[in-house]
Amino acid sequence: MRLPESQVAVLNAASATDERTIAQLAEATDLKPETVTGAVFDLRDDGLVTVTETVEEDVELTDEGVEYADDGLPEIRLYRAAMDVGGGDAVQMGQVIGASSLGGPQVDIALSNFARKGYGHIDSGELVPDADANPDADEEAAALSALVAGETVDTDVLDQLESRNLVVRHERTIRAVTLTDEGVTALMEGVEAAETVDRLTPEMLTSGEWEDVEFTEYNVEADAPEVRGGKKHILRQTADRVKDVLVGMGFSEMEGPHADADFWINDCLFMPQDHPARTHWDRFALDVPPMEDIPEDLINRVRSSHLNGVGDDGDGYHSPWSEDFARAVALRGHTTSLSMRYLSGHEVGELEPPQRYFSVEKVYRNDTLDPTHLLEFYQIEGWVMAEDLSVRDLMGTFEEFYSHFGITDIQFKPHYNPYTEPSFELFGRHPETNELIEIGNSGMFREEVLRPLGVECDVMAWGLALERLLMLMYGFDDIRDVHGTLCDLDLLRETEVLR
Amino acid sequence: MPVVDVQPDELRRLTGHEEKSDEEFKDDLFALGLEFEGVTEDGAFQLEFGPDRLDRLSVEGVARSLRYQYGDARGVTVPKTNDPDWTIVVDESVPEERPYVTGAVVRGVDLDEAALDSLIQLQEKLHATMGRKRAKGAIGIHDLTMLKGDVLSEQSTGNAITYTGIEPDGDTFVALDSNEELTPAEVLEQHDTGRKYADLVSEYERYPAIYDEIGLFSFPPVINGRRTEVTTDSRELFVELTGTDQWTIDRMCNIICYALAARGATIEEVEVEYEGGTVVRPDFEVETKRVSHDRIETVLGVDLEMDEVIDLFERSGLDADAELGDETVYEVSIPPYRVDVLHPLDLVDDVGRAYGFNELEPRYPDVGTVGQRHERSRLEDAARTALVGLGFEDLLNFHMISEEENYERMDVEPGSGSVLGGGEPTSITEPYSEDYTMLRTWVLPSLTMVLENNTHRAYPQDLAEIGHVAHRDDDENTRVSEARHVAAVLARHDATYEDAKARLATLCNDFGVELETPATEHPSFIPGRTASVVIDGEEVGIVGELHPKVIVEHDLELPVAAFEFDLAALQ
Repeated sequence: MRLPESQVAVLNAASATDERTIAQLAEATDLKPETVTGAVFDLRDDGLVTVTETVEEDVELTDEGVEYADDGLPEIRLYRAAMDVGGGDAVQMGQVIGASSLGGPQVDIALSNFARKGYGHIDSGELVPDADANPDADEEAAALSALVAGETVDTDVLDQLESRNLVVRHERTIRAVTLTDEGVTALMEGVEAAETVDRLTPEMLTSGEWEDVEFTEYNVEADAPEVRGGKKHILRQTADRVKDVLVGMGFSEMEGPHADADFWINDCLFMPQDHPARTHWDRFALDVPPMEDIPEDLINRVRSSHLNGVGDDGDGYHSPWSEDFARAVALRGHTTSLSMRYLSGHEVGELEPPQRYFSVEKVYRNDTLDPTHLLEFYQIEGWVMAEDLSVRDLMGTFEEFYSHFGITDIQFKPHYNPYTEPSFELFGRHPETNELIEIGNSGMFREEVLRPLGVECDVMAWGLALERLLMLMYGFDDIRDVHGTLCDLDLLRETEVLR
Repeated sequence: MPVVDVQPDELRRLTGHEEKSDEEFKDDLFALGLEFEGVTEDGAFQLEFGPDRLDRLSVEGVARSLRYQYGDARGVTVPKTNDPDWTIVVDESVPEERPYVTGAVVRGVDLDEAALDSLIQLQEKLHATMGRKRAKGAIGIHDLTMLKGDVLSEQSTGNAITYTGIEPDGDTFVALDSNEELTPAEVLEQHDTGRKYADLVSEYERYPAIYDEIGLFSFPPVINGRRTEVTTDSRELFVELTGTDQWTIDRMCNIICYALAARGATIEEVEVEYEGGTVVRPDFEVETKRVSHDRIETVLGVDLEMDEVIDLFERSGLDADAELGDETVYEVSIPPYRVDVLHPLDLVDDVGRAYGFNELEPRYPDVGTVGQRHERSRLEDAARTALVGLGFEDLLNFHMISEEENYERMDVEPGSGSVLGGGEPTSITEPYSEDYTMLRTWVLPSLTMVLENNTHRAYPQDLAEIGHVAHRDDDENTRVSEARHVAAVLARHDATYEDAKARLATLCNDFGVELETPATEHPSFIPGRTASVVIDGEEVGIVGELHPKVIVEHDLELPVAAFEFDLAALQ
């Protein structure tokens, strides 16, 4: 058996029949008592020794206690001086103190204990000693002498001395060590010393010393202190995941203004100007002048689309259309404004089919703030431009997209949007609860949208709130806990990362 | 989206499918695009649907659609109409803001409670949708027997009512739910319904009014008179609609007439006598649109036989005549209750619904494109990853904020453009909440708010956000200058300028840009411990220790070091 050197020494010094204290073992091994204690515990953990513990009390005289043991207690010195001076009669205080040669704080100590212990009393500056008192029988004085001599002392007197700060008491655990049968066996089979170290140091590595040492074992199951690092916001992680999926499906990311003309936000989308969603209740109009720079020919085509429709058999809306309203600037209610900018050729030039584009960006809705609705949230927006797209292509694209989030069995509920036809609300099975839930809105852009933009082929599009995807997939109850200044840092810190 | 209440028993009766269970109806309705939202106290289904098929705003319309779906009805049906007996005369003093009127006489109605409730609901729902809360079109339904028509001429046997405009206090009548003779102006002030719709007419010089020989009986679009109130005893009705667009009120009228006809009533035409000529209403003219067979096949992605297509049209309540040629084209007839057919593609949608969109086999589009992230988004992502690596918790805050949070509590003056965060506010015209009145001009106010709301959470709190900021700038086309800022705070008992700068320097090093930090002043920061963030020679932000007054203002009890700069500087 190989053991650390100190343990080998302790093992050799211990006996199977006699208890040896730590102090005795330290003396026998010439090791420090704390080293011996450590070795003993390790040996005990290995079952080689047993340890019995008893508690003993040590009493130590303080400096003041030592002084009184030598010179006598101040109150006794005062008494003896008073008897010397007055022979038992009252004597002047100053006279006695001078005779006693007491000084400083000792005077007060002497006076307070003089009366307490019945050596006499003090009356109007005079000291009246009790002639019958016997200072030789003073318990405290006797106890001090006994302690100096290493004898034990009655507890009550000891308490008294401790209260006068003349002694200090320490409790001491005496550990007595005995070899176990295993210990005896180990010794008989032979124990060799091996060096152990706590820490691997740079010096050990350079000197090669590490080759000759054993490392102290740690309690590897014990808790380690908490370390906190940063992490990406859970909604950003979700957005990244969505972006990864879409890029993988061949989509490119769009970018554009959050504050935009209603023209790009709504008019291009063939949203009638008297549509309820365009009233001030739903829309965040901005207190800024109208947008000036919108291509005139595009405005004219969009106006015509609204008023007269598109194509031979097209009808427009029976609603007024005002260019002033179209130029008014508002916060975008959907990122479809970006789609309009891209499709019109004003962002990245004229687009030839096929194209796929997406964005995962913020939109603003003047809605009621509650656990599932925010005034601003992230919208996933995507579209595919190609010749002759069918509803089946749209369905296939969404099945592919949602399958990456564990949502399958997609149902397409025919729906109405002013800007798409056919339109579908998308429903899917919740991966956990298996509930049928709404997961998006989609459709083929109307010709009234595309033709004024100069697009002659088909474009299919869909949208979905990112927060909704997050809540569905990760079960947050209140979106305000994660998004916005009311967020709870602990919740963010403890939220699992997405994988 | 509109919600319509429909009694399942009424649905059974009107469809003739007594055997259908509630659950079967729910599935059939879902297939029509009507989503079951719940039941009302008296057991009616609450059905939500997109605001296109407004002819389904009543149980009669929903039942009609189901009958087509079940194949019980086919093609276009138009109710028979009788020749006009009544005339609506449009007087020259009619308010110019609301010049249009239409109407119909309906005879032989049998209004039980359910039918009357349905009629009232249909009227309200049409007001809310097509009628744009009565601004664009408003419906008045009157008990015909309570009207006494003016005699138009000695030769004519017909009756007339007059749509005109009167002074706000020009006449009096007793409005519905009232016992008092009030002028129209008094109705707007004293009557509950009057107050509700006062805004619609209060700017008018003359108020809309409808008269018969007895006198004023309706004050559209606000309220009818009590004299002509419709009850379950009413057997003959006069329907009138006024509005700002003739087509809109005509279609609303058609939807009402179809619903009443579905209950066995007879529609009788009325003449509307405008100054420029007379029209006969209701306008039940069947319009047509042309759509090619090829287009239908392309949109649905399936091959179809001509007969099949015609069948699908008829099952949608449309009629189709095929014209054979180089390509087959259908001339499709559209019933006059439809308000949603703006383009031939809307007819293709009907074919798809009749076919069953969920019958279609999804396929991944056979076109190849190459995807990529936007440059700006990649940059933002790289910077965020670097910040997280530096130990910052990545945050996400609202772009909208209050002026108080953005400026005052940070001790920054609005319009102090040279100071980071001091840009002019982009204000929301009619803010919904005083907490969100503008777009934030910088990110640090959001981060200090998060610190303020999380003082009970463990420190250190090292937070970062890369987010959108904006300020008003009339030189921009959108009038708003938008940017992304990188911002970070270190809230810890020993936070110093050096802690912020060290992290900022690492970030700049990661992006290979040169950082300089010349001393500057900023009202949110401690003087002498504040520097400009100068990246590649351009001043783009601020770094320093937050001023104690800002810290105390946010109820924080420990120092905060911070920086913020324009993300574009890392490009």
